[in-house]
Amino acid sequence: MRRTWLRSVAMGGIVLAALVVVSALALSVPAPAQAPTRFVFANESNYDTMDPHAAFDVGRVAVRLNLYDGLYRWLDNPPALQPWLAESHTVSPDGLTYTFKLRRGVKFHDGSEVTAEDVRYSMERILALKKGAASLFATMVAPASTKALDRHTVQFTLSKPVAIFLAVVPEVHVVNSALLKKHEKDSDWGAAWLTSNEAGSGSYMLTRYDPAIGFIAKRFPGHFMPWGAKYIDEIEFRMVKEDNTRVLGMIKGDYQGTGGYLPNDQVKRLREAPNVKLIEQESMRIMMFQINNQRPPMNDVHVRRAISYAFDYDGFNKEILGGSVERNPVPIPNNLWGIPKDVKGYTYDIEKAKAELAKAKLKVDRPLTVGYLTGFSQTEQAATVMANGLRKAGIESKLTSELWPTMVERMKKPETSPDMVVYWISTYYADPNNWIGEMFHSGQWGTFKASSFYKNVKVDDLLDLALKSTDRKVREKAYQDAARIVVDEAAGVWIYNTKYFGPWAKSLEGIRFSPIGNGQEMRWVYYAQ
Amino acid sequence: MSGALFVFGRLARDRSALLGLVLILGLVLSALLAPWLATHPDDVFELHPAKRLRPPSAENLLGTDRMGSDIYSRLLFGARTTIVIGVIAVGAALLIGVPIGLVAGHYHTWVSDALMRVSDIFLAVPQVVLAIAIAQTLGPSLPNVILALSVTYWPWFARLVYAETRALQKEVFIESTAAIGASPFRLVALHVLPNVASPIIVRTSIGMGFTILTAAALGFLGLGPPPPAPEWGRTIAEAREFLPDAWWYAAAPGLAIFLTVMGFNLLGDGLRDVLDPRIRRSYAEAGDG
Amino acid sequence: MRLVALVLRRAAWFLPTVLGLLAITFVVSRIIPADPVALVAGDTATPAQVEALRRQLGYDRPLPVQFVTYVWRLLRGDMGTSLFTTRPIVDDLASRLPATIELTLVAMAVSIVIGIPLGVVAAIWRNSLLDHLLRVVTVSGLAIASFWLGIMLQLLFAMRLGWTPLNARFQGFPPPGMTGLYLVDAVLAWDWWAFAVALRHLALPAATLAVPALATLVRFTRAGVLDVMQSNYVLHERAMGLPSSVIVWKLILRNALTSTITQIGLLFGILLAGAVVTETVFDWPGIGAYAVNAIIRSDYNAVMGFTVWAGVIFMVVNLLVDVAQGFIDPRERAS
Repeated sequence: MRRTWLRSVAMGGIVLAALVVVSALALSVPAPAQAPTRFVFANESNYDTMDPHAAFDVGRVAVRLNLYDGLYRWLDNPPALQPWLAESHTVSPDGLTYTFKLRRGVKFHDGSEVTAEDVRYSMERILALKKGAASLFATMVAPASTKALDRHTVQFTLSKPVAIFLAVVPEVHVVNSALLKKHEKDSDWGAAWLTSNEAGSGSYMLTRYDPAIGFIAKRFPGHFMPWGAKYIDEIEFRMVKEDNTRVLGMIKGDYQGTGGYLPNDQVKRLREAPNVKLIEQESMRIMMFQINNQRPPMNDVHVRRAISYAFDYDGFNKEILGGSVERNPVPIPNNLWGIPKDVKGYTYDIEKAKAELAKAKLKVDRPLTVGYLTGFSQTEQAATVMANGLRKAGIESKLTSELWPTMVERMKKPETSPDMVVYWISTYYADPNNWIGEMFHSGQWGTFKASSFYKNVKVDDLLDLALKSTDRKVREKAYQDAARIVVDEAAGVWIYNTKYFGPWAKSLEGIRFSPIGNGQEMRWVYYAQ
Repeated sequence: MSGALFVFGRLARDRSALLGLVLILGLVLSALLAPWLATHPDDVFELHPAKRLRPPSAENLLGTDRMGSDIYSRLLFGARTTIVIGVIAVGAALLIGVPIGLVAGHYHTWVSDALMRVSDIFLAVPQVVLAIAIAQTLGPSLPNVILALSVTYWPWFARLVYAETRALQKEVFIESTAAIGASPFRLVALHVLPNVASPIIVRTSIGMGFTILTAAALGFLGLGPPPPAPEWGRTIAEAREFLPDAWWYAAAPGLAIFLTVMGFNLLGDGLRDVLDPRIRRSYAEAGDG
Repeated sequence: MRLVALVLRRAAWFLPTVLGLLAITFVVSRIIPADPVALVAGDTATPAQVEALRRQLGYDRPLPVQFVTYVWRLLRGDMGTSLFTTRPIVDDLASRLPATIELTLVAMAVSIVIGIPLGVVAAIWRNSLLDHLLRVVTVSGLAIASFWLGIMLQLLFAMRLGWTPLNARFQGFPPPGMTGLYLVDAVLAWDWWAFAVALRHLALPAATLAVPALATLVRFTRAGVLDVMQSNYVLHERAMGLPSSVIVWKLILRNALTSTITQIGLLFGILLAGAVVTETVFDWPGIGAYAVNAIIRSDYNAVMGFTVWAGVIFMVVNLLVDVAQGFIDPRERAS
């Protein structure tokens, strides 16, 4: 009897052992020969669409930067606008007409030439699809107002003079209009097809894509920008959700690059890894609490000031984040022009907070809702620090978290938005309007940047002036004045400006970091050896 | 009464059941005496960012978390959440499921089929998924977690009681009592229920363990009470990003969950062995969960 | 005869039960406060655009109408489109099913291969040290939170020792395949490197998933074997003098295995429920993670799609198990 038992147990054991042996043997087989010079980037969000006009966010910038080209491009830090598909442009004296001269002989990946008609089509497509950067352009450019004057000249006519048009023109990614027209279905501008394909002229051509995994692209030798002596043949951008996995993967060499806004504890581990180098740059990405200025009791300036005094800035920036960020007391990044240098902002002072509450006409008699983003533990920690400070000042609070898209949706109306929400505003374009302009102009209510629901006619006028004028000095003064008012009125709580700590494989050279793009433009990069 | 004493006597001789009782007692005491047993009782909401992620030491027995709060003290207060969730959720599931099972088991009409199919509906989807859906819909909070768990656990009681009731109907004493003309309510309350009590008690103990695990899973996914609540599942989720360095941060709450659920499982096993060996077979049909 | 009656009764209730399941899920997913239509429309859509999209998707009609439309489409095999992935849900589920199947099969294989012999051994040497040890181990196995176990395994094997990857199913793009089961596809493609990679990625999640299944299986097998061993039939055989090895092998194991069929139904439930949490912890691209993400993102069509699929499968499995049980052992009550 015992032998029978031993027999079946032994059989089970042999099966398992066989599996183990097979895999051990398999593991000893070396990895298949890789394609010449590959680069793998671990991205924290997934590439759910390849359409450059459907997204505008930092998480998916690799698609737009590597597969497509725009008229101009932001490069380096501090960011500078470089001519790209366009050689030059002229602006009419009234600031309404921008005429761009295109380079000649630029080819799309399918061999056809990039013409002004493609640029015109791309702008119309952005406006028609109403996604991505459309909200920005819709206020400046009317549909059917863009003209291809000839094969290599394109003209934009603005509905009103707007100083930032040039700053956002890089977001007009030029798509192959002929190719898209071929794949158009039910007048969708080829959207269904472009979700999983590409129609670009960029440095790399799409070879493989899976929305659950990522994409692979190979070098486009015929790109109009000359290639250096060394380059990377194949790039892969993969979604890897967990911070820990990305960090471990960098240390093990599975990935050669990943996002540079990791928590400080992870950055420390990467610093110690022998095959990883950290590129440290001051970026432009402010973390802040947007306070709902319309809902009582936050519509009382004293309550808002109390909230501003209740957040432990140093505790958060220096202790929890280990000093990897810079306090940024004003709603414009420290390293951008337009800041009133004399404004110091609020400090962590519970006594001052209580004093402000005493002066308030409205009493805080209910818990305030503090919203943060699901999956972003830094926002959770910031919300916890805020709740703790509020409690010390005598204000109860309730934490509530939503996924980013859900929170964006809630923040569209003052009735559904939480009492305050903590998140970041990154660099979509390098201009103070990207922050203070879109955050505090009352005309911006309903966008995710304007969840402060702030309304001050004086500030509106200053911001309008800054947008209209093309004189840098005038604009700078307007933004400084506006910032002073907004800070005095404690329209929000501005915590820090991010530093970028980009982990890259040590053997890589040529990485060009810009706050827009975050170094993910791979055409400059190569392996040194 | 003498039956209960008999049970306790038998139970006392079962060492693992005794261990289970000890563990459960430990949980209850931790929860009740948390303010006194805790070394830093204020750390339920107090932050000390300068002391964050310290390893276990004399000052902080299980180290500090990402905000610098004492993990040991927060664990003790987390025990309160655990007990509240377990007791109320399983209690509610019992109060819903037992009557439904009795009614369905007693009658042989389409009503009982319908009731059992309703419970089938709830059992068709993994309990965890249904609980997640309910908690997500209603919003993350303690009452919603309890609601979600009771709504998804009652079918286990219902099916168990249904099966037992049907089995009892074949017993002579039930048939004769019914023949005499006793009212259904009297029949069920005085004759069926006492005999069904044993499996119910066993399932309650096992249900506590299972419910606590599911509650921890909900907390882990962020669907439990919001920060700064020291709920065990949520603490594990918080601790994840600090692995492998601050491993104690994730290990401690997991161990707390383990010991608690172990306690209820051991007790349940012991009760099952003592109360009715027949239950072993019938639970094979009702399924374990 | 009773069996036929059972099957007929169950079949009659099948449709109402599925409808009931759908109705509950429908109600639960429609009373959420967030507005998924707005989510689809995107960050930059105006309220007018959101309304237009709502009309286009049919979400402005009264709830009962929406429900009927949904069921009607379902009968034609159309589960609708995922709000999040913008792909047909049937495609989403189909593309994620192999991942869950592969994980579940490996976990089940491990549990069965280890669990059944252990259960039999525990029953035969009842109350021995081994039996007690197994009892402690199985109770422990059922007391561990599987998400915590997964994390601890990751900590030890992936982070500290570096023997396995941390999570996910594969590194980058997987072997081109017909079945979607990477192990099988790798073998068919004679790509042993891919096989090894897939296996290493499977190790931790399968182990995590197998633990509760293993524990349950050991306990059930032990109980089943004990039952049979104590039954009059076997005692009679022993009294008749049949050699022990014959009794054990032929009678006990066969009887224990028949109760395994019940157990497989149970196991399936445990594994699917476990898969939901395990897939989330290990970032495994299966149906469980899909369901959790769909719920958290208020992707109601996807939630309903998953519920229909899971519900139907469960009910079919339960029915098959009950039928098999009734068929094999008519003495057992049909419940």
